[in-house]
Amino acid sequence: MEYILKNGIVYDPANEVNGEKMDVMFKDGIIVDDVSADAEVLDVTDKIVMPAGIDPHAHVAGPKLVVGRLYRPEDSRRGVTQKTKVLRSESGFSIPSCPATGYRYSRLGYGTVVEAAMPPLEAKHTHEEIATIPQIDIPAMPLFGNNWFVMEYAKDNNIEDIAAFVAAWLKLTKGYGIKIVNPCGSEAWGWGMNVHGINDKAPYFDVTSKEVVVALAKANEMLNLPHSIHIHPNDLGHPGNVPTTIETMDCVKDVKKGSKAAEIRDQVMHVCHLQFHSYTGNSWKDAASGAEEVADYINKHDHITCDIGQVTLDETTTMTADAPMEYDLFKLSGLKWANKDIECETAAGIIPCIYSAKNPVNTLQWAIGLELFLHIDDPWKVCLTTDHPNAGPFTRYPRIISWLMSNTRRMEMIENREVHKWAEKRTTLATLDREYDFYDIATISRAAPARIYGFTDKGALTPGYRADIAVYDINPNDIDPSRQYAEIEKGFNVADYTIKDGQILVKDKEIVKVKESQNVWVNVQGWEKNEEKVINNIMPFFTQYYSVKWENYPVHDHYVSNPIRIDVDGK
Amino acid sequence: MKTITFDQIKTSSIALEFDELIPDEIYSWTEADFAKYQVPIGNSRFPLTDFFEVTVEGEANGPDEVEMIINGDLNRVKYIGCKMSGGNIVCNSSVDLHVGAEMSGGSILVKGNAAAHAGREMSGGYLEIEGNTKEFTGASYIGEWRGMTGGQIVVGGNAGKQCGECLTGGKIHVKGNCDILAGIHMTKGVIEIDGDVNRWPGGQMKNGNIIIHGFLGRLLEGFVLNGIVVDPEVEGVTYEGKYIQYTGDIGLNGKGNLYLDAEANKEKLATYGELDDEYTSIREYRNL
Repeated sequence: MEYILKNGIVYDPANEVNGEKMDVMFKDGIIVDDVSADAEVLDVTDKIVMPAGIDPHAHVAGPKLVVGRLYRPEDSRRGVTQKTKVLRSESGFSIPSCPATGYRYSRLGYGTVVEAAMPPLEAKHTHEEIATIPQIDIPAMPLFGNNWFVMEYAKDNNIEDIAAFVAAWLKLTKGYGIKIVNPCGSEAWGWGMNVHGINDKAPYFDVTSKEVVVALAKANEMLNLPHSIHIHPNDLGHPGNVPTTIETMDCVKDVKKGSKAAEIRDQVMHVCHLQFHSYTGNSWKDAASGAEEVADYINKHDHITCDIGQVTLDETTTMTADAPMEYDLFKLSGLKWANKDIECETAAGIIPCIYSAKNPVNTLQWAIGLELFLHIDDPWKVCLTTDHPNAGPFTRYPRIISWLMSNTRRMEMIENREVHKWAEKRTTLATLDREYDFYDIATISRAAPARIYGFTDKGALTPGYRADIAVYDINPNDIDPSRQYAEIEKGFNVADYTIKDGQILVKDKEIVKVKESQNVWVNVQGWEKNEEKVINNIMPFFTQYYSVKWENYPVHDHYVSNPIRIDVDGK
Repeated sequence: MKTITFDQIKTSSIALEFDELIPDEIYSWTEADFAKYQVPIGNSRFPLTDFFEVTVEGEANGPDEVEMIINGDLNRVKYIGCKMSGGNIVCNSSVDLHVGAEMSGGSILVKGNAAAHAGREMSGGYLEIEGNTKEFTGASYIGEWRGMTGGQIVVGGNAGKQCGECLTGGKIHVKGNCDILAGIHMTKGVIEIDGDVNRWPGGQMKNGNIIIHGFLGRLLEGFVLNGIVVDPEVEGVTYEGKYIQYTGDIGLNGKGNLYLDAEANKEKLATYGELDDEYTSIREYRNL
């Protein structure tokens, strides 16, 4: 089937197309240069056309979500819709039901969402849930930062075996890349402790989080994985965590990129939800923004990319594999708390969180997120996220876009005291008048995540790429985003068209078709012998300590229907 | 003023949901609009006129000018007055779940019993039930930690378990007896119980007031005896007589007050030793 999107105003940063009026054509799911005269014409005159969105860091599938839904039935009362001929019913606001997750991303014009934390032991379940989410491609990132085998190898600086372990575990779990959460800290939580700073040792393992991070970064580059290590550094959410954040970013600056990886990405470390890692001070009483210092480091170094985790000032649910941090949050807020331990691998905590504009700390977090967006000069180094659902639900992306595009709106919020005065007093937000344009927005929500993840078939409107396209009912030549911020939010809230793999899923702001989701995973080739050796080495330990049998551990093929396998030459 | 009368024609074994038929939605409706309306039942909708004959008299410019009178057997009608902000509803029968849930204004009178979740999470208005209520009267919904925040509920009969759970404001007055765990997790507001209470009122309460005029079966360990108070004043209302005052739940550093009628609970006082006529200085007995 051939289509032509006619007369749209195209923003495609990967191809340096900045608001040109042109046609976009696709055939059989692929973007093409030319179509025949029989092609169906979709008139998108004076509407914004972008590649479909890519969310580089969200929590949409996995055991945490299930615990969250089970123990927060009150969240499921929000956002309830009735089933229609096309759609199943939806429920939930911060932790939407699986179908709602897919539908809502599709309405926003998104096509790919990365599930940012998959415990290997729970990978089967994660994939079952991915299969239930429609509309989007979902790569999932297995957790390695507190894995007992990885920590043992890192202590011995045995990079080759870590690489083989990672290659094997990506195959076993059908994962995309290396995710590290509070390295050594979540393991310490098993003993009721946490690590503070990057040079703190995990109890009983005698290895520091720095050693784990560097070892995994080297292994990542040795395998030439399309994505770099994806790290949630230590000390998340603690005032005074800027030095830890900067030391974490700095510790991998000398790690050399894999020769093949260097062709598709720039960074050796992606730091997620950076906003939570940019606080100065000694306690919440004297906490202030460290965004300038963190952004300055990123501006001066090319080996780092980040996403922000922008606080949206909503009531939401926080869920992370950083279990000790969730316990701290529980002590602060007193709201109900759930904890989860994954044997030998990681831990998790879940707690509701009410981000209020009247609360000084929440306002500070809100302002720091925006500061980071505005201080980091190169939009290719920063991605739009809310760390869904930790800082807010993904459905608030349009609102964040309106904040980024309108200094007027930001100043209005500060001056009218819609937010607490800490936003003005303890951050530099009020002094920043930078405004993002549509090209920058397309970069932080499409092109940059695609490049960071090493996707070679998404995130651009290049012929030969997958036809993942979003059309928004905004005429960029007829709107002043600085003044008309409400229209910007409204326009980005529901896409006019969302096209995924050439199939029209959203048409005239309504979902017209439901498509099965696809898992994206990385298959490293050339390490098979090393993998076998490592698995043989760890087998006695595995048999002794895991409560599952080895035969039941891997994600079998029938758990992953219709996957997209990315073959990587690891040697 | 507009009077809308619903006269039941037949009942349904699956509950009808009335949350769309609140004064805020229907103040401008005519009989023709009701004839077109389909009421949710389970996962489907059916014409309302199959179940009720609707008569409309008068005009209204807003929900406050509406009076709804619902006649018939309403034991299988849920969500009456749910989320209403004004107007007046009279139910001439017992009603099903969630009557007056999340209401913010107006008034509802139920001339019968109410099933569970009556006045759930209401933030304003007045809900009177002449008969008994089941569980969770004026409580929060399952999982939620913010219950009723304002308004008033009056139960003429007895109230079921966990009445006023997570109460964060407003007042619940039970004229009959109350089952276990009244005011569990409450943080604010008043629960007044004229009759007897089974067990454990105020479990894990952080603040707020519970006044029990009848006999209390068992008190939780987390309540500390404060002494006898005479004619205590709670949120502007004076309760005449002598009351034993407890503070709790100390397990959560709670500062809630529990007042027990001293006459009705003489046995409890007796555990502290011989009392003089004025029950003076009960602390002294405690310290002995």
